Amino acid sequence: MGEIRPVYLEDKLKEVEDSGRLDYRSKALPTWCPGCGYFSIVEAVATALCELGIPNEDAVMVSGIGCSSRFPFFINSYGIHTLHGRALPSALGVKTANPALTVVAVGGDGDGFAIGGGHVPHAARRNLDITYLLFDNGIYGLTKGQTSPTSAVGFKTPTSPYANPDRPLNPLLMLLSHGASWVGQSYAGDPEHLRSMIRQAMEHRGFSYLHILSPCVTFDKTHRTYVNLGMQVHALPATHDPTDKLAAMGEAMKNEQAPAVGLYYREQRPTLDDALDALVEKAGGEKRGLRGGRGRKLR
Amino acid sequence: MSTDVQIAIVGSAGDGTIAAGDILRRAMAEIGYRVISFDLYPAEIRGFGKCIARLRVTDEQAYSLKQQSDILVSLDDSHAIPHVGEAREWGAVIYETHSVNPLPEGAHLSGHIDPGQVPYNVPIRELAEKSTGSARSRNIVIVGYIIGLMRLPVEPVLRALVGKFKGKGDIAQKNEAALRAGYEEGLRWFRLDDIEFGPPPAQEKGAHVEMISGNAAIVRGALDAGIDNFFGYPITPATSIMERLASEMPRHGARLVQTEDEIAAISATLGAGYAGARAATATSGPGLSLMAEMLGFGVIAEVPSVVFVSQRGGPSTGMPTKHEQSDLNMAVFGGHGDAPRIVIAPTSVEGCYRCAGRAFEMAEAYQTPVIVLLDLYLSNRYETVPFPDRPPFDADTNRYADTRGGAAGFQRYALTVDGVSPRSIPGQAGGMHVATGLEHNELGRPNDQPDMHLAQSRKRHEKLKAALSHPGFEPAKRFGDTGQVEVGLVAWGSSFGECLEAMYLAQEEGIRCAAVKVVMVSPFPVDFVATFLADCKEVLVPEVNYQGQFAGILQMQVPRAVTRMTRIPCAPLRVEEILDEIRRLAGRIVEPQAA
Repeated sequence: MGEIRPVYLEDKLKEVEDSGRLDYRSKALPTWCPGCGYFSIVEAVATALCELGIPNEDAVMVSGIGCSSRFPFFINSYGIHTLHGRALPSALGVKTANPALTVVAVGGDGDGFAIGGGHVPHAARRNLDITYLLFDNGIYGLTKGQTSPTSAVGFKTPTSPYANPDRPLNPLLMLLSHGASWVGQSYAGDPEHLRSMIRQAMEHRGFSYLHILSPCVTFDKTHRTYVNLGMQVHALPATHDPTDKLAAMGEAMKNEQAPAVGLYYREQRPTLDDALDALVEKAGGEKRGLRGGRGRKLR
Repeated sequence: MSTDVQIAIVGSAGDGTIAAGDILRRAMAEIGYRVISFDLYPAEIRGFGKCIARLRVTDEQAYSLKQQSDILVSLDDSHAIPHVGEAREWGAVIYETHSVNPLPEGAHLSGHIDPGQVPYNVPIRELAEKSTGSARSRNIVIVGYIIGLMRLPVEPVLRALVGKFKGKGDIAQKNEAALRAGYEEGLRWFRLDDIEFGPPPAQEKGAHVEMISGNAAIVRGALDAGIDNFFGYPITPATSIMERLASEMPRHGARLVQTEDEIAAISATLGAGYAGARAATATSGPGLSLMAEMLGFGVIAEVPSVVFVSQRGGPSTGMPTKHEQSDLNMAVFGGHGDAPRIVIAPTSVEGCYRCAGRAFEMAEAYQTPVIVLLDLYLSNRYETVPFPDRPPFDADTNRYADTRGGAAGFQRYALTVDGVSPRSIPGQAGGMHVATGLEHNELGRPNDQPDMHLAQSRKRHEKLKAALSHPGFEPAKRFGDTGQVEVGLVAWGSSFGECLEAMYLAQEEGIRCAAVKVVMVSPFPVDFVATFLADCKEVLVPEVNYQGQFAGILQMQVPRAVTRMTRIPCAPLRVEEILDEIRRLAGRIVEPQAA
């Protein structure tokens, strides 16, 4: 880490105010527990939106249900807080209706891989041009600490009082095989890395999947804690080539021992928007946005 | 002279029965008649199941088929024998002279014809083989024969043939030869005086008549209302809505995505609705079950969206290829919580067109999911529909919020007098808000205080009442005698056609009778129906489900005794059965029917 420099409160406040990223934070205060990793995700998304110069009204945060899914309330943009597991298909609708919008789907490990698991492969294979931020804390926080699809074997929770018998999923490996065109991993305990990865994910044209490891400070005192994650999380090898899918899959397999953060894979290929526009052309139709300039009406 | 002729063709899968019926109904529409037509075919794709094509040709649009056909054609005697009685007295029964195989006694149709029916035995196979070298064109021969026998012009049939087999090589030529062979043969035989085709009715001005199925009319209505996005998952009998849209929408620059399941379909529809699109999905009962939770989201988040539902036999997988009207309760009440929605059920193919277009208007105007409830019979039946030259639908019925100035805290769910809050659409500056499935305050922020829950619940319920007076839409309509009546029928959906037919027959018998069709089932047109019921000595509510689901809703809204007529014949109601019920309620003597 090297030299440690003091940070003065006045300087920090001035830096934040001048950056303009507060414009992307809503007036609603996050409802998460003190110490939750999700605070840094809100900050990182607001910063990325600000840095990319996306007007507030052109961004839509889409979520399902869970601690993570409260996210849209905390960003000053349009938002749609849908049902448990339905963030991705709802985002499909938003983006298909108006491709000019920047659409970010957010959700947790239960939302994305348990109840909503059926939607993930299809958003990925279609190369729906959105960013999917998955907040993985390996637990159901909003219902007070039950086992999730990414909980470790042996994890004790109120629904697995003796031990969790099920092995956890490997989301990175799944998303790679589903055909996501951008796959990365980050850690809520490293805000700088997180901010950089979220920005890259949002800049990617196509379906970008960012897996964000985060502790649940309230209900998990044994497994995915800041202390444990801090010891386990490491960077992908500098030699990793993110255009090599097999290598990416190999790295994703290693995650089952210790998680590596960074960009696993990226490719450029036509998005769902491109494909739908091609259909219009093939049918001899004329490409159109929302009829009558909806969404721009009173600008 | 007026025209009212019904033709039925009975055959085995592979005989080209349905194709023959299709050519005939297209030809009749081409000549200028009004047609209603419904086919029956087996569930299996291949095999020797029974197929029946029925079409009724009239001057004015009929709402149902008749109980008896004027002309019955057999392409397969084993299937046709049980249907010989369907041909009326002095009606024609047309059948094959030579069977392929020697038949045992009683297996040839000729032995089953009633003395009152007029038999025509036609060497169908021989004519087909002579004209085309193949017996496969028997169905086309018989089309030509009917046209010749009835002394109708053959050119419109040729046009219908060309249309049907366009781009299929020499099939069109062969079919023309078969058609002419049948036509010449038909001309040789004496014409049936008892069956009359009068001159076709004059064309309406400002409209063009087309022969179209219920599902195709839904598609036309959606396109004319400017549908932007469609998301769907194939399911019988709604699939053809999606298939047609898949081919039509790109031509209009619109977008369709086949989703991974019905849950994704409704989620995406709501996502698109939230983003300002006119968006829809289409499904059947099982799909609606899956959508129930997300529809509730559409209600509380107040997202415009349209769901076309074509019912089939249930519960569970039930009978995917059989007609039933048993998803009404789910359409109106399905899902958890107090979740009011608009449910409209067209009663005819033309109604499908109008309801589809108005559904998009209502979804936007009242910011809510709208269910358009069809059934297998209505989805698959054909009618001639006079389409207006200019679509009658309003392209934008949104109430937009003026968010200029970007005042902090846009109130997306503001409490207004009529319950509709002006909306903003993503991309609109100053209108940022979160649409949520949580109970919320005016800003859309989570709020579970009793006062706010009451205020928002009241808003969601009250705003729908305006739909009952939506411009250009009749939620209910009365037919038949005015004033006091002996028997009043209240019907919904496709069953209304059979009810109307039965009502006319009852009137002919001197029974004072009237019928009301209820197109908007939710919110229910209470005042209109209550006024009607006050005129009725007896009330009959016929429908195709076991429980009497519509009668239940009716009695919940307008408490009074009614006679439920619930039948689940896996097919449309029988006019004769409804007529018997009317006679019974009117105190007329009814002969017991043979089982």
